[in-house]
Amino acid sequence: QGCVDHPIVLTEAVCNPLYSRQMMSELLFECYQVPKVSYGVDSLYSFYHNKRQSWPCSGLVISSGYQCTHILPVLEGRLDAKNCKRINLGGCQAAVYLQRLLQLKYPGHFAAITLSRMEEILHEHSYIAEDYIEELQKWRSPEYYENNMHKMQLPFSNKLLGSTLTSEEKQERRQQQLRRLQELNARRREEKLQLDQERLDRLLYVQELLEDGQMDQFHKALVELNMDSAEELQSYINKLSLSVEQTKQKILQAEVNIEVDVVDSKPETPDLDPLGSEQSLEDVESINEFEPLFAEEQPEVEKPVAAVQPVFNLAEYHQLFLGTERIRAPEIVFQPSLIGEDQAGIAETMQYVLERYPKEQQALLVQNVFLTGGNMMYPGLKARVQKELLEMRPFQSSFQVHLASSPVLDSWYGARDWAVEYMTREEGWITRKDYEEKGGEYLKEHCASNVYVPIRLPKQAPRATEVLAPSKSLTS
Amino acid sequence: QSAGGEAVNENKFLNTDSSTGSVETTIKPLPFKDPNFIHSGIGGAAAGKKNRTWKNLKQILASERALPWQLNDPSYFNIDAPPSFKPAKKYSDISGLPANYTDPQSKLRFSTIEEFAYIRMLPSDVVTGYLALRKATSIVA
Repeated sequence: QGCVDHPIVLTEAVCNPLYSRQMMSELLFECYQVPKVSYGVDSLYSFYHNKRQSWPCSGLVISSGYQCTHILPVLEGRLDAKNCKRINLGGCQAAVYLQRLLQLKYPGHFAAITLSRMEEILHEHSYIAEDYIEELQKWRSPEYYENNMHKMQLPFSNKLLGSTLTSEEKQERRQQQLRRLQELNARRREEKLQLDQERLDRLLYVQELLEDGQMDQFHKALVELNMDSAEELQSYINKLSLSVEQTKQKILQAEVNIEVDVVDSKPETPDLDPLGSEQSLEDVESINEFEPLFAEEQPEVEKPVAAVQPVFNLAEYHQLFLGTERIRAPEIVFQPSLIGEDQAGIAETMQYVLERYPKEQQALLVQNVFLTGGNMMYPGLKARVQKELLEMRPFQSSFQVHLASSPVLDSWYGARDWAVEYMTREEGWITRKDYEEKGGEYLKEHCASNVYVPIRLPKQAPRATEVLAPSKSLTS
Repeated sequence: QSAGGEAVNENKFLNTDSSTGSVETTIKPLPFKDPNFIHSGIGGAAAGKKNRTWKNLKQILASERALPWQLNDPSYFNIDAPPSFKPAKKYSDISGLPANYTDPQSKLRFSTIEEFAYIRMLPSDVVTGYLALRKATSIVA
């Protein structure tokens, strides 16, 4: 076989870039061998499905999806593409906003506040206020808050805020760290002892040269060692032998202390007095780290081990209280300044789009305002849009707002209706022959499609390095 | 995630489709696909099998802008909504109520005295989180 032998109706973005359409057509026609393809805009298909009067009709389609919201004026059944506007906010941004709000409010549950739970909250517990400021004033009063706040119960987890270990585990850890530090220090001392010993031997050997009277060799050795005279050599020897003695002493002491530690259960302050100047900074820092630990250890050790915790309601700790977040998250499409976006919200954009038309057309468009898309399913949204329209339309003019019968699925139903009706007709379909003649970005306009702008794109040829050079300059 | 201007293109799923690679014949050929198809996006001989030169949305838009559009033609970047003309209303960062006051130390907005006390007790990362949510973080540290 190696092909798909039925026509395909595909939805694309509003004003889809030509490059994307070219890629898609190439895939469909050349890889899957589809006979004919039709591209359309999903919200327009939804509009087509929900038509009330005879087609073609006009209206203002407002479609809000997961990623963006479009405001599309439709005149006489055709999309008036140059007056469309797109707001880059949708359900996804609302979910992320809600997630961040709750994570900041409950920092202990950072990991438990996931996007999927946020979407569940948005779908089931959020609504759009008809008058945002008034609704917020209602939320000020404690009784309203108590009645309308939703409590979300998170699944139980053992991690408590901050302290992930019990106190015994903490002690264990401290002991381990102490032991490690002691071992490290002991090793360091032994190495140092060895080095010093070697150096001392070398110096003594040089001194013997002097005593034996082999002046030449002695001088040569002095130069090697970077010293000037015999007295300097002597003083070096003295210093070194002193430090070797001290190191040996300390090793003995540390060994004694380790034994003592093993016997006692309580971690004692080991004898880690500041070692010689050659001590590296690391050890000093880690010792300082333990000072505060020890300071707080002393009083704790006196108390009984059975810890008395404050009264702690575990169930309540794992609950999220949703108050005004219920209306704040969906509000971002109406007021993008809530999350810092400088685009205008739905109401203002609607006004902007309407004002690009003469008054009669405005009145015509406003008679059929159509809401579709998954992000439009909040309770109270239709009332809100009506109120916004009331505010922006002239006094005592009429308007009508309709919601799609099933906002999520209507695009598919619309596409099915269109396909069924136009199956045998020629218009609207891009056939294989059209693709080959006119290139991948060709689009045949129909009642639910984008507007076609006839610009040819250079075709990307495969496996030809010379032709790829210009296309590569685009990608770089 | 919250980058504006990047609407999902339904055509984008072609990334995963072509990457199943009809070039390899060791896998069982899928019945609906032409087994001899090589996508033009696959790079030249130098790039090898793995490097397919896909463009992301920014690159696509950049190359689209370079095409010869007329003044009134609609295109993906033309139809972005304009910025708002009305001044933004201020809401409290904590509770969402209309905020009349701003904390000078942390620049968070609040509406009641209890909120102010709460703000003053917040750790700094939560404060920057609230500011970042409103895109009000200052550039100068």
